[in-house]
Amino acid sequence: MKIRLDNKLAYLLMSPVLVYLLAIMLLPFGWALYLSFTDKTVGVPAHFIGFGNYIDLLKDSMFWKAVKNTIIFTAVAVVLKSVFGMVMALVLNEKIIFRNLFRVLLFLPWTIPTIVSVFTWQWIYSDVGGVLNYLLLKINAIGRPIGWLAKPDLAMMSVIVVNVWRGIPFMGIAILAGLQSVSKEMYEAAMLDGAGAVKRFFYMTLPSVKEVTILAAVMTTIWTLNDFEIIWLLTRGGPDNGTQVLSTLSYTIGFLNMSLGKAIAIAIMTMPPLIMLINYVTKRSLASAD
Amino acid sequence: MILMENRSVTKQVVVYVTLAFMLLCALFPLYWMINTSFKSQGEIYNLTPNFWPKDFTWAGYDKLFEKGFLKNVKNSLVVSLVVSVFSIAVSMLAAYAISKLKFSGRGVISKGILYAYLMPRSVLFIPLYMLVSALGAGNSIWGLMLIYPTITIPYATWMLISYFKSIPVEIEEAAMIDGCSRSRTLRSIVLPLAAPGLAATFIFSFTLCWSEYLYALVVVTKSADKTITLGLADMIVGDVFAWGPLMGGSIIASIPVVIMYLFTSKYMVSGMTVGGVK
Repeated sequence: MKIRLDNKLAYLLMSPVLVYLLAIMLLPFGWALYLSFTDKTVGVPAHFIGFGNYIDLLKDSMFWKAVKNTIIFTAVAVVLKSVFGMVMALVLNEKIIFRNLFRVLLFLPWTIPTIVSVFTWQWIYSDVGGVLNYLLLKINAIGRPIGWLAKPDLAMMSVIVVNVWRGIPFMGIAILAGLQSVSKEMYEAAMLDGAGAVKRFFYMTLPSVKEVTILAAVMTTIWTLNDFEIIWLLTRGGPDNGTQVLSTLSYTIGFLNMSLGKAIAIAIMTMPPLIMLINYVTKRSLASAD
Repeated sequence: MILMENRSVTKQVVVYVTLAFMLLCALFPLYWMINTSFKSQGEIYNLTPNFWPKDFTWAGYDKLFEKGFLKNVKNSLVVSLVVSVFSIAVSMLAAYAISKLKFSGRGVISKGILYAYLMPRSVLFIPLYMLVSALGAGNSIWGLMLIYPTITIPYATWMLISYFKSIPVEIEEAAMIDGCSRSRTLRSIVLPLAAPGLAATFIFSFTLCWSEYLYALVVVTKSADKTITLGLADMIVGDVFAWGPLMGGSIIASIPVVIMYLFTSKYMVSGMTVGGVK
Protein backbone atom coordinates (compact mmCIF):
# COMPACT_ATOMS: atom_id res chain seq x y z
CA MET A 1 0.00 0.00 0.00
CA LYS A 2 1.20 3.47 -0.80
CA ILE A 3 1.84 5.59 2.25
CA ARG A 4 -0.56 8.47 2.26
CA LEU A 5 -0.15 11.27 4.75
CA ASP A 6 -3.19 12.29 6.77
CA ASN A 7 -1.76 15.57 7.96
CA LYS A 8 -5.02 17.49 8.07
CA LEU A 9 -7.03 14.87 9.90
CA ALA A 10 -4.19 14.09 12.30
CA TYR A 11 -3.66 17.69 13.35
CA LEU A 12 -7.39 18.25 13.62
CA LEU A 13 -7.69 15.32 16.03
CA MET A 14 -4.64 16.37 18.02
CA SER A 15 -5.51 20.07 18.14
CA PRO A 16 -7.25 20.12 21.57
CA VAL A 17 -4.31 18.36 23.23
CA LEU A 18 -1.66 20.37 21.39
CA VAL A 19 -3.34 23.72 22.03
CA TYR A 20 -3.82 22.89 25.71
CA LEU A 21 -0.26 21.70 26.25
CA LEU A 22 1.21 24.68 24.40
CA ALA A 23 -0.94 27.22 26.25
CA ILE A 24 -0.93 25.74 29.75
CA MET A 25 2.42 24.00 29.88
CA LEU A 26 4.94 25.31 27.38
CA LEU A 27 3.99 28.99 27.44
CA PRO A 28 4.00 29.33 31.26
CA PHE A 29 7.25 27.42 31.33
CA GLY A 30 8.81 29.86 28.88
CA TRP A 31 7.50 32.79 30.90
CA ALA A 32 8.92 31.25 34.07
CA LEU A 33 12.27 30.75 32.39
CA TYR A 34 12.30 34.50 31.64
CA LEU A 35 11.29 35.34 35.23
CA SER A 36 14.23 33.35 36.57
CA PHE A 37 16.38 36.14 35.10
CA THR A 38 14.43 38.79 37.02
CA ASP A 39 14.01 39.86 40.65
CA LYS A 40 10.30 38.93 40.55
CA THR A 41 8.64 38.80 43.96
CA VAL A 42 4.97 38.18 44.69
CA GLY A 43 2.93 41.29 43.88
CA VAL A 44 5.87 43.36 42.60
CA PRO A 45 6.74 43.90 38.91
CA ALA A 46 9.86 42.14 37.66
CA HIS A 47 13.19 43.76 36.72
CA PHE A 48 15.66 41.99 34.50
CA ILE A 49 18.80 41.09 36.47
CA GLY A 50 20.48 38.64 34.09
CA PHE A 51 22.08 35.71 35.85
CA GLY A 52 21.69 37.38 39.27
CA ASN A 53 19.52 34.69 40.80
CA TYR A 54 21.72 31.90 39.51
CA ILE A 55 24.90 33.55 40.78
CA ASP A 56 23.27 34.22 44.18
CA LEU A 57 22.30 30.59 44.44
CA LEU A 58 25.69 29.26 43.41
CA LYS A 59 27.24 31.39 46.18
CA ASP A 60 24.66 30.29 48.73
CA SER A 61 25.78 27.48 51.03
CA MET A 62 22.12 26.60 51.65
CA PHE A 63 21.68 25.82 47.95
CA TRP A 64 24.67 23.48 47.99
CA LYS A 65 23.38 21.83 51.12
CA ALA A 66 20.08 21.20 49.34
CA VAL A 67 21.97 19.79 46.34
CA LYS A 68 23.86 17.44 48.62
CA ASN A 69 20.70 16.39 50.48
CA THR A 70 18.86 15.81 47.22
CA ILE A 71 21.62 13.54 45.96
CA ILE A 72 21.79 11.56 49.22
CA PHE A 73 18.01 11.26 49.46
CA THR A 74 17.65 10.14 45.84
CA ALA A 75 20.63 7.79 45.69
CA VAL A 76 19.87 5.96 48.93
CA ALA A 77 16.14 5.73 48.23
CA VAL A 78 16.52 4.49 44.65
CA VAL A 79 19.09 1.84 45.58
CA LEU A 80 16.92 0.56 48.44
CA LYS A 81 13.79 0.55 46.29
CA SER A 82 15.58 -1.36 43.54
CA VAL A 83 17.00 -3.98 45.93
CA PHE A 84 13.76 -4.57 47.83
CA GLY A 85 11.77 -4.37 44.60
CA MET A 86 13.96 -7.13 43.20
CA VAL A 87 13.37 -9.25 46.31
CA MET A 88 9.63 -8.65 46.06
CA ALA A 89 9.61 -9.65 42.39
CA LEU A 90 11.66 -12.82 43.01
CA VAL A 91 9.34 -13.91 45.82
CA LEU A 92 6.18 -13.23 43.81
CA ASN A 93 7.65 -15.11 40.86
CA GLU A 94 7.80 -18.33 42.91
CA LYS A 95 4.98 -20.83 43.00
CA ILE A 96 3.30 -19.68 46.22
CA ILE A 97 -0.24 -20.00 47.49
CA PHE A 98 -2.56 -16.99 47.09
CA ARG A 99 -0.03 -15.37 44.83
CA ASN A 100 -2.48 -12.86 43.36
CA LEU A 101 -3.76 -11.87 46.78
CA PHE A 102 -0.22 -11.27 48.07
CA ARG A 103 0.64 -9.30 44.95
CA VAL A 104 -2.32 -6.99 45.54
CA LEU A 105 -1.53 -6.63 49.26
CA LEU A 106 2.13 -5.83 48.61
CA PHE A 107 1.02 -3.26 46.08
CA LEU A 108 -1.16 -1.28 48.52
CA PRO A 109 1.53 1.15 49.75
CA TRP A 110 1.92 2.46 46.19
CA THR A 111 -1.80 2.99 45.64
CA ILE A 112 -2.77 5.09 48.64
CA PRO A 113 -2.30 8.86 48.32
CA THR A 114 1.19 10.03 49.31
CA ILE A 115 -0.18 12.39 51.91
CA VAL A 116 -1.90 9.46 53.64
CA SER A 117 1.31 7.46 53.87
CA VAL A 118 3.09 10.51 55.22
CA PHE A 119 0.60 11.06 58.06
CA THR A 120 0.52 7.39 58.94
CA TRP A 121 4.28 7.26 59.24
CA GLN A 122 4.38 10.54 61.12
CA TRP A 123 2.11 8.93 63.70
CA ILE A 124 4.24 5.78 63.82
CA TYR A 125 7.38 7.93 64.32
CA SER A 126 5.73 10.20 66.91
CA ASP A 127 7.70 10.65 70.13
CA VAL A 128 4.41 10.90 72.05
CA GLY A 129 2.51 7.63 71.76
CA GLY A 130 4.32 6.50 68.59
CA VAL A 131 4.28 2.75 68.08
CA LEU A 132 7.80 2.49 66.63
CA ASN A 133 9.42 3.66 69.87
CA TYR A 134 7.11 1.40 71.84
CA LEU A 135 8.02 -1.70 69.84
CA LEU A 136 11.75 -0.98 69.82
CA LEU A 137 11.75 -0.30 73.59
CA LYS A 138 9.89 -3.52 74.17
CA ILE A 139 12.45 -5.67 72.36
CA ASN A 140 15.21 -3.63 74.02
CA ALA A 141 16.61 -2.40 70.72
CA ILE A 142 16.72 1.13 72.12
CA GLY A 143 17.10 2.39 75.69
CA ARG A 144 14.81 5.40 75.51
CA PRO A 145 12.35 6.92 73.04
CA ILE A 146 13.95 8.41 69.96
CA GLY A 147 12.81 11.56 68.16
CA TRP A 148 12.89 10.07 64.68
CA LEU A 149 12.38 13.43 63.00
CA ALA A 150 14.23 15.57 65.53
CA LYS A 151 17.89 15.16 64.50
CA PRO A 152 19.14 15.99 60.98
CA ASP A 153 20.71 12.62 60.13
CA LEU A 154 17.96 10.60 61.72
CA ALA A 155 15.30 12.72 60.02
CA MET A 156 16.93 12.09 56.64
CA MET A 157 16.83 8.36 57.31
CA SER A 158 13.19 8.57 58.41
CA VAL A 159 12.01 10.42 55.29
CA ILE A 160 13.92 7.96 53.11
CA VAL A 161 12.13 5.06 54.84
CA VAL A 162 8.74 6.55 53.94
CA ASN A 163 9.77 7.15 50.33
CA VAL A 164 11.14 3.60 50.05
CA TRP A 165 8.04 2.07 51.67
CA ARG A 166 5.87 3.79 49.05
CA GLY A 167 8.17 3.09 46.12
CA ILE A 168 9.08 -0.60 46.47
CA PRO A 169 5.84 -1.92 44.87
CA PHE A 170 6.42 -0.02 41.62
CA MET A 171 9.91 -1.49 41.22
CA GLY A 172 8.69 -4.90 42.34
CA ILE A 173 5.82 -5.15 39.88
CA ALA A 174 7.89 -3.80 36.99
CA ILE A 175 10.68 -6.34 37.61
CA LEU A 176 8.10 -9.09 38.09
CA ALA A 177 6.72 -8.39 34.62
CA GLY A 178 10.24 -8.82 33.27
CA LEU A 179 10.81 -12.04 35.22
CA GLN A 180 7.64 -13.60 33.87
CA SER A 181 8.96 -13.33 30.35
CA VAL A 182 12.06 -15.40 31.20
CA SER A 183 11.65 -18.94 29.90
CA LYS A 184 11.25 -21.75 32.42
CA GLU A 185 13.15 -24.22 30.24
CA MET A 186 16.32 -22.21 30.57
CA TYR A 187 16.11 -22.48 34.36
CA GLU A 188 15.45 -26.16 34.33
CA ALA A 189 18.39 -26.72 32.02
CA ALA A 190 20.63 -24.71 34.30
CA MET A 191 19.41 -26.59 37.35
CA LEU A 192 20.16 -29.93 35.72
CA ASP A 193 23.61 -28.63 34.92
CA GLY A 194 24.00 -28.12 38.64
CA ALA A 195 24.02 -24.31 38.71
CA GLY A 196 23.26 -23.13 42.27
CA ALA A 197 20.62 -20.55 43.14
CA VAL A 198 23.16 -17.73 43.53
CA LYS A 199 24.82 -18.55 40.24
CA ARG A 200 21.48 -18.79 38.47
CA PHE A 201 20.49 -15.40 39.83
CA PHE A 202 23.64 -13.60 38.71
CA TYR A 203 24.11 -15.32 35.36
CA MET A 204 20.51 -15.77 34.20
CA THR A 205 17.90 -13.87 36.16
CA LEU A 206 19.73 -10.61 36.53
CA PRO A 207 20.83 -10.21 32.88
CA SER A 208 17.35 -11.04 31.62
CA VAL A 209 15.62 -8.36 33.73
CA LYS A 210 18.45 -5.83 33.52
CA GLU A 211 16.72 -3.59 30.98
CA VAL A 212 13.37 -3.49 32.76
CA THR A 213 15.06 -2.84 36.07
CA ILE A 214 17.15 0.02 34.74
CA LEU A 215 14.15 1.65 33.02
CA ALA A 216 12.01 1.39 36.17
CA ALA A 217 14.92 2.64 38.30
CA VAL A 218 15.45 5.67 36.05
CA MET A 219 11.76 6.55 36.23
CA THR A 220 11.88 6.14 40.00
CA THR A 221 14.93 8.42 40.07
CA ILE A 222 12.98 11.14 38.20
CA TRP A 223 10.16 10.92 40.75
CA THR A 224 12.42 10.68 43.81
CA LEU A 225 14.59 13.57 42.69
CA ASN A 226 11.51 15.76 42.74
CA ASP A 227 9.75 14.39 45.78
CA PHE A 228 8.19 17.27 47.65
CA GLU A 229 5.26 15.99 49.67
CA ILE A 230 6.99 13.44 51.88
CA ILE A 231 9.76 15.76 53.01
CA TRP A 232 7.65 18.91 53.23
CA LEU A 233 4.91 17.30 55.29
CA LEU A 234 7.23 15.38 57.60
CA THR A 235 9.97 17.91 58.32
CA ARG A 236 9.46 21.12 56.27
CA GLY A 237 13.10 20.57 55.25
CA GLY A 238 14.31 20.64 58.86
CA PRO A 239 15.55 20.09 61.45
CA ASP A 240 18.39 22.54 60.87
CA ASN A 241 17.89 22.07 57.09
CA GLY A 242 18.99 18.46 57.49
CA THR A 243 16.36 17.30 55.00
CA GLN A 244 16.22 20.45 52.87
CA VAL A 245 16.15 19.26 49.25
CA LEU A 246 15.86 21.36 46.09
CA SER A 247 12.08 21.02 45.79
CA THR A 248 11.41 22.12 49.37
CA LEU A 249 13.99 24.91 49.10
CA SER A 250 12.29 26.13 45.92
CA TYR A 251 8.91 26.16 47.67
CA THR A 252 10.32 27.91 50.75
CA ILE A 253 12.02 30.64 48.73
CA GLY A 254 9.05 31.08 46.40
CA PHE A 255 6.11 31.00 48.76
CA LEU A 256 7.47 31.82 52.22
CA ASN A 257 10.12 34.37 51.16
CA MET A 258 8.06 35.42 48.11
CA SER A 259 11.11 35.45 45.78
CA LEU A 260 9.52 33.76 42.79
CA GLY A 261 12.37 34.52 40.38
CA LYS A 262 14.93 32.86 42.60
CA ALA A 263 12.65 29.91 43.33
CA ILE A 264 12.19 29.28 39.62
CA ALA A 265 15.96 29.48 39.12
CA ILE A 266 16.31 26.54 41.52
CA ALA A 267 13.81 24.51 39.51
CA ILE A 268 15.60 25.43 36.26
CA MET A 269 18.92 24.28 37.65
CA THR A 270 17.49 20.82 38.33
CA MET A 271 16.58 20.58 34.65
CA PRO A 272 19.85 19.40 33.01
CA PRO A 273 20.15 16.10 34.94
CA LEU A 274 16.40 15.69 34.69
CA ILE A 275 16.44 16.11 30.91
CA MET A 276 19.18 13.49 30.65
CA LEU A 277 17.05 11.01 32.62
CA ILE A 278 13.87 11.84 30.70
CA ASN A 279 15.76 11.46 27.42
CA TYR A 280 16.84 8.01 28.44
CA VAL A 281 13.27 6.92 29.24
CA THR A 282 11.92 8.51 26.05
CA LYS A 283 14.48 6.75 23.90
CA ARG A 284 13.82 3.38 25.50
CA SER A 285 10.04 3.71 25.50
CA LEU A 286 9.73 5.00 21.96
CA ALA A 287 12.05 2.24 20.74
CA SER A 288 9.90 -0.48 22.30
CA ALA A 289 6.65 1.17 21.22
CA ASP A 290 7.46 1.11 17.52
CA MET B 1 16.75 -36.28 43.58
CA ILE B 2 16.57 -36.30 47.38
CA LEU B 3 19.19 -33.61 47.49
CA MET B 4 17.10 -31.46 45.17
CA GLU B 5 13.98 -31.98 47.27
CA ASN B 6 15.82 -30.90 50.40
CA ARG B 7 17.06 -27.88 48.60
CA SER B 8 13.56 -26.99 47.46
CA VAL B 9 12.21 -27.27 51.04
CA THR B 10 14.89 -24.86 52.22
CA LYS B 11 14.01 -22.61 49.33
CA GLN B 12 10.31 -22.71 50.22
CA VAL B 13 11.10 -21.69 53.78
CA VAL B 14 13.24 -18.77 52.60
CA VAL B 15 10.53 -17.66 50.17
CA TYR B 16 7.72 -17.74 52.71
CA VAL B 17 9.73 -16.09 55.48
CA THR B 18 10.71 -13.28 53.11
CA LEU B 19 7.13 -12.95 51.96
CA ALA B 20 5.85 -12.76 55.53
CA PHE B 21 8.40 -10.09 56.40
CA MET B 22 7.50 -8.00 53.34
CA LEU B 23 3.78 -8.30 54.06
CA LEU B 24 4.39 -7.19 57.63
CA CYS B 25 6.33 -4.11 56.50
CA ALA B 26 3.83 -3.21 53.77
CA LEU B 27 0.69 -3.69 55.81
CA PHE B 28 1.60 -2.68 59.36
CA PRO B 29 1.28 1.08 58.71
CA LEU B 30 -2.11 0.53 57.05
CA TYR B 31 -3.30 -1.62 59.95
CA TRP B 32 -2.07 1.01 62.39
CA MET B 33 -4.01 3.70 60.54
CA ILE B 34 -7.24 1.69 60.82
CA ASN B 35 -6.55 0.79 64.44
CA THR B 36 -5.93 4.42 65.45
CA SER B 37 -8.97 5.79 63.64
CA PHE B 38 -11.34 3.83 65.90
CA LYS B 39 -9.73 4.81 69.21
CA SER B 40 -10.76 7.60 71.52
CA GLN B 41 -8.33 10.50 71.94
CA GLY B 42 -7.45 9.18 75.40
CA GLU B 43 -6.73 5.66 74.23
CA ILE B 44 -4.59 6.91 71.35
CA TYR B 45 -2.08 8.40 73.78
CA ASN B 46 -1.96 5.35 76.07
CA LEU B 47 1.63 4.64 77.09
CA THR B 48 1.08 1.03 76.08
CA PRO B 49 -0.68 1.18 72.72
CA ASN B 50 -3.54 -1.28 72.23
CA PHE B 51 -3.26 -3.40 69.14
CA TRP B 52 -7.01 -3.21 68.71
CA PRO B 53 -9.25 -0.43 70.09
CA LYS B 54 -10.55 -1.31 73.56
CA ASP B 55 -13.42 1.16 73.34
CA PHE B 56 -14.33 1.03 69.68
CA THR B 57 -15.55 4.53 68.74
CA TRP B 58 -16.52 6.56 65.69
CA ALA B 59 -15.64 9.79 67.54
CA GLY B 60 -12.67 10.49 65.28
CA TYR B 61 -14.89 10.32 62.22
CA ASP B 62 -17.56 12.51 63.82
CA LYS B 63 -14.96 15.14 64.54
CA LEU B 64 -13.70 14.89 60.97
CA PHE B 65 -17.11 15.67 59.54
CA GLU B 66 -17.65 18.52 62.02
CA LYS B 67 -14.60 20.13 60.46
CA GLY B 68 -16.26 20.05 57.04
CA PHE B 69 -14.32 17.14 55.61
CA LEU B 70 -17.30 16.18 53.46
CA LYS B 71 -16.87 19.46 51.58
CA ASN B 72 -13.23 18.53 50.85
CA VAL B 73 -14.31 15.12 49.61
CA LYS B 74 -16.89 16.70 47.33
CA ASN B 75 -14.39 19.19 45.91
CA SER B 76 -11.90 16.43 45.13
CA LEU B 77 -14.60 14.32 43.57
CA VAL B 78 -15.77 17.16 41.30
CA VAL B 79 -12.27 18.20 40.23
CA SER B 80 -11.11 14.62 39.62
CA LEU B 81 -14.20 13.67 37.63
CA VAL B 82 -14.31 16.79 35.47
CA VAL B 83 -10.58 16.70 34.74
CA SER B 84 -10.57 12.96 33.96
CA VAL B 85 -13.57 13.10 31.63
CA PHE B 86 -12.13 16.07 29.75
CA SER B 87 -8.65 14.53 29.59
CA ILE B 88 -9.85 11.18 28.27
CA ALA B 89 -12.04 12.84 25.66
CA VAL B 90 -9.26 14.91 24.12
CA SER B 91 -6.45 12.39 24.73
CA MET B 92 -8.45 9.72 22.94
CA LEU B 93 -8.50 11.74 19.73
CA ALA B 94 -4.83 12.64 19.91
CA ALA B 95 -3.83 9.07 20.74
CA TYR B 96 -5.84 7.76 17.80
CA ALA B 97 -4.07 10.14 15.43
CA ILE B 98 -0.60 9.32 16.79
CA SER B 99 -1.12 5.56 16.78
CA LYS B 100 -3.07 5.10 13.55
CA LEU B 101 -2.33 7.94 11.14
CA LYS B 102 0.79 8.78 9.22
CA PHE B 103 1.64 12.46 9.35
CA SER B 104 4.67 14.68 9.39
CA GLY B 105 5.96 15.57 12.84
CA ARG B 106 4.69 12.39 14.46
CA GLY B 107 8.00 11.54 16.12
CA VAL B 108 8.41 15.00 17.62
CA ILE B 109 4.88 15.04 18.96
CA SER B 110 5.02 11.63 20.62
CA LYS B 111 8.33 12.58 22.18
CA GLY B 112 6.84 15.86 23.38
CA ILE B 113 3.94 14.05 25.04
CA LEU B 114 6.30 11.73 26.91
CA TYR B 115 8.36 14.71 28.01
CA ALA B 116 5.23 16.40 29.31
CA TYR B 117 4.32 13.25 31.24
CA LEU B 118 7.71 12.93 32.90
CA MET B 119 8.10 16.64 33.67
CA PRO B 120 7.93 16.84 37.45
CA ARG B 121 5.46 19.00 39.31
CA SER B 122 8.19 20.55 41.44
CA VAL B 123 9.50 22.25 38.28
CA LEU B 124 6.12 23.41 37.02
CA PHE B 125 4.31 24.49 40.18
CA ILE B 126 5.47 28.12 40.17
CA PRO B 127 4.75 28.80 36.47
CA LEU B 128 1.31 27.21 36.86
CA TYR B 129 0.61 29.14 40.04
CA MET B 130 1.44 32.38 38.24
CA LEU B 131 -0.68 31.42 35.25
CA VAL B 132 -3.69 30.67 37.42
CA SER B 133 -3.31 33.92 39.37
CA ALA B 134 -2.91 35.93 36.17
CA LEU B 135 -6.14 34.45 34.85
CA GLY B 136 -7.94 35.27 38.09
CA ALA B 137 -8.76 31.61 38.64
CA GLY B 138 -6.55 31.43 41.71
CA ASN B 139 -7.96 30.33 45.00
CA SER B 140 -10.69 28.11 43.59
CA ILE B 141 -11.24 24.64 42.24
CA TRP B 142 -11.56 26.26 38.79
CA GLY B 143 -7.84 26.91 38.94
CA LEU B 144 -7.20 23.25 39.67
CA MET B 145 -9.49 22.17 36.85
CA LEU B 146 -7.45 24.34 34.53
CA ILE B 147 -4.02 22.96 35.49
CA TYR B 148 -4.62 19.32 36.50
CA PRO B 149 -4.88 18.26 32.83
CA THR B 150 -1.14 19.06 32.59
CA ILE B 151 -0.77 15.91 34.68
CA THR B 152 -3.52 13.78 33.16
CA ILE B 153 -3.47 14.61 29.42
CA PRO B 154 0.12 13.57 28.66
CA TYR B 155 -0.35 10.48 30.79
CA ALA B 156 -3.69 9.48 29.25
CA THR B 157 -2.51 10.16 25.71
CA TRP B 158 0.56 8.01 26.19
CA MET B 159 -1.44 5.15 27.72
CA LEU B 160 -4.05 5.23 24.97
CA ILE B 161 -1.47 5.27 22.20
CA SER B 162 -0.29 1.84 23.32
CA TYR B 163 -3.87 0.53 23.64
CA PHE B 164 -4.79 1.70 20.15
CA LYS B 165 -1.59 0.20 18.77
CA SER B 166 -2.57 -3.18 20.15
CA ILE B 167 -5.71 -3.18 17.97
CA PRO B 168 -4.75 -4.80 14.65
CA VAL B 169 -4.93 -2.38 11.76
CA GLU B 170 -6.45 -5.16 9.57
CA ILE B 171 -9.78 -4.93 11.43
CA GLU B 172 -10.04 -1.26 10.60
CA GLU B 173 -8.96 -1.76 7.00
CA ALA B 174 -11.61 -4.44 6.55
CA ALA B 175 -14.28 -2.11 7.88
CA MET B 176 -13.13 0.71 5.65
CA ILE B 177 -13.09 -1.51 2.57
CA ASP B 178 -16.66 -2.45 3.46
CA GLY B 179 -17.49 1.23 3.14
CA CYS B 180 -17.23 2.48 6.72
CA SER B 181 -16.05 6.06 7.02
CA ARG B 182 -13.09 6.75 9.24
CA SER B 183 -15.20 8.33 11.95
CA ARG B 184 -17.59 5.40 11.91
CA THR B 185 -14.67 2.95 12.13
CA LEU B 186 -13.38 4.89 15.11
CA ARG B 187 -16.76 4.94 16.83
CA SER B 188 -17.98 1.44 16.20
CA ILE B 189 -14.77 -0.58 16.00
CA VAL B 190 -11.72 1.05 17.58
CA LEU B 191 -13.36 2.61 20.65
CA PRO B 192 -15.31 -0.50 21.74
CA LEU B 193 -12.16 -2.59 21.38
CA ALA B 194 -10.20 -0.06 23.43
CA ALA B 195 -12.91 0.20 26.11
CA PRO B 196 -10.98 -1.61 28.87
CA GLY B 197 -8.00 0.61 28.17
CA LEU B 198 -10.16 3.71 28.26
CA ALA B 199 -11.64 2.63 31.60
CA ALA B 200 -8.23 1.94 33.12
CA THR B 201 -6.86 5.25 31.86
CA PHE B 202 -9.85 7.07 33.29
CA ILE B 203 -9.32 5.45 36.68
CA PHE B 204 -5.62 6.31 36.79
CA SER B 205 -6.33 9.89 35.78
CA PHE B 206 -8.89 10.09 38.55
CA THR B 207 -6.46 8.82 41.18
CA LEU B 208 -3.72 11.19 40.01
CA CYS B 209 -6.05 14.16 40.61
CA TRP B 210 -7.49 12.72 43.81
CA SER B 211 -4.06 12.31 45.44
CA GLU B 212 -2.52 15.57 44.21
CA TYR B 213 -1.17 17.90 46.88
CA LEU B 214 1.46 20.39 45.65
CA TYR B 215 -0.63 22.22 43.02
CA ALA B 216 -3.61 22.35 45.36
CA LEU B 217 -1.36 23.76 48.09
CA VAL B 218 -0.14 26.67 45.98
CA VAL B 219 -3.41 27.40 44.15
CA VAL B 220 -6.20 27.03 46.71
CA THR B 221 -6.23 28.84 50.04
CA LYS B 222 -9.98 29.48 50.40
CA SER B 223 -11.26 26.85 52.83
CA ALA B 224 -14.54 26.25 50.96
CA ASP B 225 -12.60 25.14 47.88
CA LYS B 226 -10.00 22.94 49.53
CA THR B 227 -9.54 19.42 48.24
CA ILE B 228 -9.22 16.26 50.30
CA THR B 229 -5.41 16.41 50.54
CA LEU B 230 -5.51 20.01 51.76
CA GLY B 231 -8.33 19.16 54.18
CA LEU B 232 -6.19 16.43 55.66
CA ALA B 233 -3.14 18.65 55.98
CA ASP B 234 -5.30 21.28 57.70
CA MET B 235 -6.13 18.83 60.49
CA ILE B 236 -2.71 19.65 61.86
CA VAL B 237 -2.83 22.92 63.72
CA GLY B 238 0.64 23.96 64.78
CA ASP B 239 2.13 21.04 66.65
CA VAL B 240 -1.21 19.57 67.65
CA PHE B 241 -2.02 16.35 65.87
CA ALA B 242 -5.55 15.02 66.16
CA TRP B 243 -4.48 11.52 65.18
CA GLY B 244 -7.95 9.99 65.41
CA PRO B 245 -9.65 12.24 62.84
CA LEU B 246 -6.43 12.39 60.78
CA MET B 247 -6.26 8.60 60.45
CA GLY B 248 -10.01 8.43 59.78
CA GLY B 249 -9.64 10.99 57.00
CA SER B 250 -6.67 9.07 55.62
CA ILE B 251 -8.79 5.94 55.36
CA ILE B 252 -11.60 7.80 53.61
CA ALA B 253 -9.07 9.30 51.19
CA SER B 254 -7.60 5.85 50.46
CA ILE B 255 -10.75 3.78 49.99
CA PRO B 256 -11.81 5.04 46.52
CA VAL B 257 -8.33 4.79 45.02
CA VAL B 258 -7.64 1.37 46.51
CA ILE B 259 -10.93 0.00 45.15
CA MET B 260 -10.23 1.47 41.73
CA TYR B 261 -6.73 -0.01 41.67
CA LEU B 262 -8.04 -3.45 42.55
CA PHE B 263 -10.15 -3.43 39.40
CA THR B 264 -7.33 -2.34 37.15
CA SER B 265 -4.25 -3.88 38.72
CA LYS B 266 -3.42 -5.82 35.59
CA TYR B 267 -3.10 -2.66 33.53
CA MET B 268 -0.99 -0.99 36.13
CA VAL B 269 2.53 -1.91 35.10
CA SER B 270 2.35 -1.13 31.41
CA GLY B 271 0.58 2.11 32.29
CA MET B 272 3.03 3.33 34.88
CA THR B 273 6.15 2.43 32.97
CA VAL B 274 5.02 4.26 29.84
CA GLY B 275 4.84 1.09 27.83
CA GLY B 276 8.51 0.24 28.26
CA VAL B 277 7.71 -2.93 30.15
CA LYS B 278 5.99 -5.56 28.16
